[in-house]
Amino acid sequence: MFKKALFLGIVSGLLAGIAGIIYARVYHSSLGADFSKVAPTVNIIASSLFGGVLAAIGFFLLDRLLKEKGEIVFNLLFSIISFATLLAPFAVKLPLDLEAPELFPGMVIPMHFFPALAWFTLKPLFIKK
Amino acid sequence: MNSMNKIIYPIAAALILVGSAFTFVTATSWQISEGYSIAFSSDDASGIFKGFKGNIAFDEQNPAASKFDVTIDVATINTGNGLQNKHAKSDEWFDVAKYPQIHFTSQKIVKAGNSYQVTGDLEIHGVKKPATIPFTFQKSGTGGKFAGTFTVNRSDFKVGKPGGDVGEQIKLDISVPVTK
Repeated sequence: MFKKALFLGIVSGLLAGIAGIIYARVYHSSLGADFSKVAPTVNIIASSLFGGVLAAIGFFLLDRLLKEKGEIVFNLLFSIISFATLLAPFAVKLPLDLEAPELFPGMVIPMHFFPALAWFTLKPLFIKK
Repeated sequence: MNSMNKIIYPIAAALILVGSAFTFVTATSWQISEGYSIAFSSDDASGIFKGFKGNIAFDEQNPAASKFDVTIDVATINTGNGLQNKHAKSDEWFDVAKYPQIHFTSQKIVKAGNSYQVTGDLEIHGVKKPATIPFTFQKSGTGGKFAGTFTVNRSDFKVGKPGGDVGEQIKLDISVPVTK
């Protein structure tokens, strides 16, 4: 079970990272706001992967502890935690040479949902109950 | 004709004398170059102003004849955080819509040891107060750099409410490269 969850976490994390990079490029080309200095490609991939692997561990533990109800609790927690992390981009202080810091949350907030979105999308392919 | 010459030459001489005297007392005019920095910091907030312009006439040998008239575009404030920027521009703080500029006009510039002191009128948030700013000037080739550090009490200028997280004393670090 853990192996399947881990694979799902890694694949959904990578997918979320790729989606994040594409979104960052689109954001940059449409609004002209370039935050690649504070959110470079490597960081986007790494943080998405981190989220995916963390979700895999959480899913495995909750499935073990709560059995049938584990998945329900996990889905709920994953969504709530993703939502709670939205506060971080509003509080972050960017380097002063970066233009338009007010556009930064608009770029990274959607990215905070990408790991959960990828997980929920891919889960039926990896874990069938 | 002779009587005309008697008048013209003394007048011409007087004009030349007065004109040449003015060249001695007029300070060199400097253009503000790119790369200037107007930074502020306090207990809780720090940032920069990106918009700065004005007229600088300064002569190291004759600071008394020098003159500063500079403005900061308050709307260009950048704290590094979008919410803080919006807050700083609001009527609770700088009220950019009503008071778009910080303005400083010098009244007197004196040499103080190895540095200088400029005394003048500082206008922030519509409140004009006398201020003395110590500064240095380093000449390099045809250019130079002004640098100064001083503090202002934001409550003196009715910027923000007294107390709160942001300290009363705001430290300003100014560095302005110039060319002739």
